[in-house]
Amino acid sequence: MPVSKRLGGAAFAALVVAAIPVGAQVTGDAAFSQVEKGRDLAVLGDCAACHTAPGLPPFAGGVVLQTPFGNLVAPNITPDIETGVGRLSLQDFQSVMSKGIGKGGYHLYGAMPFTAYTKVSAQDNAAIWAYLQTLEPVKNKIEPNQLPFPFNIRASLIGWNLLNFTQGEFKPDPKQSPDWNRGAYIVEGLGHCGTCHTPKNLIGGDKNSQFLEGATLQGWFAPNITADPHKGIGAWSEDEIVQYLKTGANRFDIASGPMAEVVEKSSQHWSEADLKAVAVYLKAGRNGEAKAPAPLPAGDKLMAAGQAVFADRCMGCHVATGAGVPKLFPRLAQAPLVNSDDPTTLIRVVLAGSRAGTTRAASTGPAMPSFAWNLSDQDVAAVLTYVRNSWGNAAPAVSAKDVASLRTSLQP
Amino acid sequence: MRSSEVAQPNRRQFLSSTAIALLLGSTGRGLGETIAGSPPWKPFDASPPQTLGSGTWYFLTPDEVRTVGAITERLIPADELSISGKDAGCVEFIDRQLAGSYGSSERLYMKGPFQPGTPEQGDQFPLDPRQRYRLGLASLQAHCRETYQKAFADLPPEQRDQVLTQLQTGAITLKDVDAKAFFALVLQNTMEGFFADPIYGGNKEMVSWRMLGFPGARYDYRDYIDKHNQKLDLPPLSIAGRSEWRVKD
Repeated sequence: MPVSKRLGGAAFAALVVAAIPVGAQVTGDAAFSQVEKGRDLAVLGDCAACHTAPGLPPFAGGVVLQTPFGNLVAPNITPDIETGVGRLSLQDFQSVMSKGIGKGGYHLYGAMPFTAYTKVSAQDNAAIWAYLQTLEPVKNKIEPNQLPFPFNIRASLIGWNLLNFTQGEFKPDPKQSPDWNRGAYIVEGLGHCGTCHTPKNLIGGDKNSQFLEGATLQGWFAPNITADPHKGIGAWSEDEIVQYLKTGANRFDIASGPMAEVVEKSSQHWSEADLKAVAVYLKAGRNGEAKAPAPLPAGDKLMAAGQAVFADRCMGCHVATGAGVPKLFPRLAQAPLVNSDDPTTLIRVVLAGSRAGTTRAASTGPAMPSFAWNLSDQDVAAVLTYVRNSWGNAAPAVSAKDVASLRTSLQP
Repeated sequence: MRSSEVAQPNRRQFLSSTAIALLLGSTGRGLGETIAGSPPWKPFDASPPQTLGSGTWYFLTPDEVRTVGAITERLIPADELSISGKDAGCVEFIDRQLAGSYGSSERLYMKGPFQPGTPEQGDQFPLDPRQRYRLGLASLQAHCRETYQKAFADLPPEQRDQVLTQLQTGAITLKDVDAKAFFALVLQNTMEGFFADPIYGGNKEMVSWRMLGFPGARYDYRDYIDKHNQKLDLPPLSIAGRSEWRVKD
């Protein structure tokens, strides 16, 4: 019996596959390519990161975003009339993307990165909208606004927008190459890289003067991805940036945590041209020009303790010189994340362990084990201080107090 | 008659056990799991060794602690090479092992039939280590009170050595346990305590590893592969780390 059921399922699947080209011919090639373009753009912008929750149908919403002000839940963007975006028109969608204003005139919270999406062209929005129309409508009611008073009052966002939002489509810079302009369009617009990588002000707006200089959110530090040679990715070549985004790993680093999801769901599927464009743009960006700080002296007591912990617990994979093993064990020497002022991700990875993203090109997904059971707060502080001040690295010491507080928040 | 005592399944037993196996095989959904993509991974996932904290006794009574201390002090006496087995924490180690799965033979088949096996077959005792210690120590105590009118722990070292030698050779008989087997068990556990990782209670400050020059629980020697005929003098490393990890004031 089960065998015949399975055969039936396969036959059904074959029918569905066969039905797609037929439907496309009915609505015309232009509409088909518009939908396909929208599908690619939805991947480029990684809409699924927030609008597809694990275990729920695609784009049915439900991912909870923890902000410093409270929780926001990404809405259902399938064309369901009651619980999705079935009542919205293309104009409504355009207003969401470019102005952050929903149907009926209410203001969206900045968790929906309209401050970046405002740069997306109207043509691209139309394609994304055409694609969203083809999704299966899913009934899944979501209350996006779960913020406490007074943040739950949307009118407060009028003031927020005045301070934090500049509306307007991306304007190419004629002095720059087409690649640079395409890269800028992706990074500043649909790719919304700054949502994680740009530091936030007290009310959660982007500090645009520090664009892509690294920020902490949801217990992770998204590192500096400017061309800064010490804290950023200035040492990475264009090809190495492409390799990282396409495969999740290059000779410097391996994507893990939220970036692993970005690579898995989004950037591994980008076109070669888009990957190249983003690399060109990031490489040509500001490089901070801040002078690298001096490392702690090797005779430091914390450094000596950290060196012992490193030799006994880390060296087996990350090797004595901090060089790691390309594509398998991340390099610690001259790594942007290691040299960041904020050690949140480093502490987290040592305590909880971490899993590399898996892509079609790099499917192994090597994992770092958890050391929370074996290393005390002081041990973690010492070993990270050592790592952050060896092999050309230089960054502030990590305190046992920082480790203790992250340990409590991650494992209450 | 003899042959029926040996565990040869008869036809009926064979058929019923086969039926049970078939039944389990057909109804169970199986413990197997299909993994697609990369293997599962969870943050904070670890299987640290199970250990019991210091400062208290988990199985041995105060009197037993004294007796086991007096034994381990003689099996591994303090000398120019190291401190004694007792001072190295062998009593703590034995206490914690008896309190755990080893003490209750949790991982052994303990339903019998029990019959003397060959040496290669290992322990064939119906008693688990907890029972063997409890009865063995009480019997030893009874023997010493009867013979010397003193507790074992109150005997002078030479006399203790004498009693232990008699146990080892089977020159004396204990009431409830086999004397030779009891001696062998305590000797085995004492050595384990002296040489095991300090997290299990013995080998205090890795004293036996320092004595031997054993570098401990290390797993990566790639940096030393090319260092032929050189004394490396690696300090020993416990699962819990080593003193160099501590920040020196």
